[in-house]
Amino acid sequence: MIPRFPETPGISGDSMEIDGDPFHHSEPVPKILQADVDLSRHRISVFLSTHTAYELLPESGKVVALDVSLPVKQAFHILYEQGISVAPLWDHTVGRFVGILSPLDFILILRELGNHGSDLTEEELETHAISAWKEGKLQLTRKFDGNGSLHPRRLIEAGPHDSLKEVALKLLQNKVASVPIISHDGTVPQLLHLASLTGVLKCICRHFKHSPASLPILQQPICSIPLGTWVPKIGESNGRPFAMLRPNASLSDALSLLVQAEVSAVPIVDDNDSLLDIYSRSDITALAKDRAYAQIHLNELSIHQALQLTQEASATYGFFNGQRCHMCLRSDPLHKVMDRLAIPGVRRLVIVEAGSKRVEGIISLTDLFKFLLG
Amino acid sequence: MNNNHSQDQETPVVAGFEVPRSPDASYNNVYTASEDDGRDPPVVPQHLQHTVLSYPTNGGLATPLPDPQHVVLNHLYIENREAPRSVVALGFSHRFRAKFVNVVLYKPVQRRGSANT
Repeated sequence: MIPRFPETPGISGDSMEIDGDPFHHSEPVPKILQADVDLSRHRISVFLSTHTAYELLPESGKVVALDVSLPVKQAFHILYEQGISVAPLWDHTVGRFVGILSPLDFILILRELGNHGSDLTEEELETHAISAWKEGKLQLTRKFDGNGSLHPRRLIEAGPHDSLKEVALKLLQNKVASVPIISHDGTVPQLLHLASLTGVLKCICRHFKHSPASLPILQQPICSIPLGTWVPKIGESNGRPFAMLRPNASLSDALSLLVQAEVSAVPIVDDNDSLLDIYSRSDITALAKDRAYAQIHLNELSIHQALQLTQEASATYGFFNGQRCHMCLRSDPLHKVMDRLAIPGVRRLVIVEAGSKRVEGIISLTDLFKFLLG
Repeated sequence: MNNNHSQDQETPVVAGFEVPRSPDASYNNVYTASEDDGRDPPVVPQHLQHTVLSYPTNGGLATPLPDPQHVVLNHLYIENREAPRSVVALGFSHRFRAKFVNVVLYKPVQRRGSANT
């Protein structure tokens, strides 16, 4: 899919979230050259094809896996205590990794608990094994998305000798945030690392840090690049609206957006559309604190209260999550955006207006890679 | 030991520089079956205590995980928690090419007397 470059200063959104129509700025925007884009894409593609997933591994890395026969409730407590949001699942009866437990699972379970017509109760969570949950999940997810292929049963994995390009494409094409790097060299599959686009981006930034001229598009401001999802200006027609919520909205609204709108985070804004915070799928594990999920009814808990739980979680376990919302301006150059997205834990940047912090758009890791890989 | 053998050779012996005989007392030491042998040897080598597995995962932020010492590699560790527990954590550190991987697996504990399904 080749992005369009109109003559007038404006861009078309090219992201998985919505398609933005070209909109007009009051100040002139430098036009981006197709030749620059092609050259940069080519160089990045060469780099990614000639380096392997082994480079993603840290010098000394820790990776946590869960046995697939663990009850779901225990599993979420473990994720919460360890400060991680995703873990591969090990099945000892077949001797290999069979899947991944992710925040989306927890969100779907919470919704099932609140759904009075469902078979899943809170007591059952204590004995309901992850494997049983995954069996029942297929039926659930078919209700939400038209194409049932969004949640395949087989594990999506990569090997340490696969190229970085293969890893990135796997992540993009299967629409997953993490892929386990598993080595099959020995008698038993060895889990080496959980790879994400963050790691791949970090490799790219590290490699091209000292030769910025080799990627000419790095200096371009992001408003001139067809990248990310932008809030449509008044008077434009649009497909889907840009997802944002107020802090007093209910948590169940947020979770519905996170599941159905296929977005991984929702900006929380005040009445002037100024950015206050952001609620993402991985924040859901904070609900495991003090069994909060048992006492809450999703409709009664507001996003504001849910965010407070997340902050308390960070304080209790001493995890330095850093800043919660990472922002950038429309005039920031692409290399600045890339450096920020390469920070571990940052999966998206909110584009805000200088001063007022009004939300103008979002750029996610997925958007960036879809653009860079063409 | 008899050092007269050297005097049988051609080397001249200088008076006053003969090698003295070892004192008999040096061969009369009592065998030290001392108190040290009363203690059992350590169950496990002490250096195995220095495992890296207890460090938080933390997604690779500010403080990266230190390298595990080579002596603790390929040993299986179990997490030390209070007795009534339903989940146990097993971990081990191994080397993959030039990097270290520290894996922790959480498994449910089979209660005694329950049938294994």
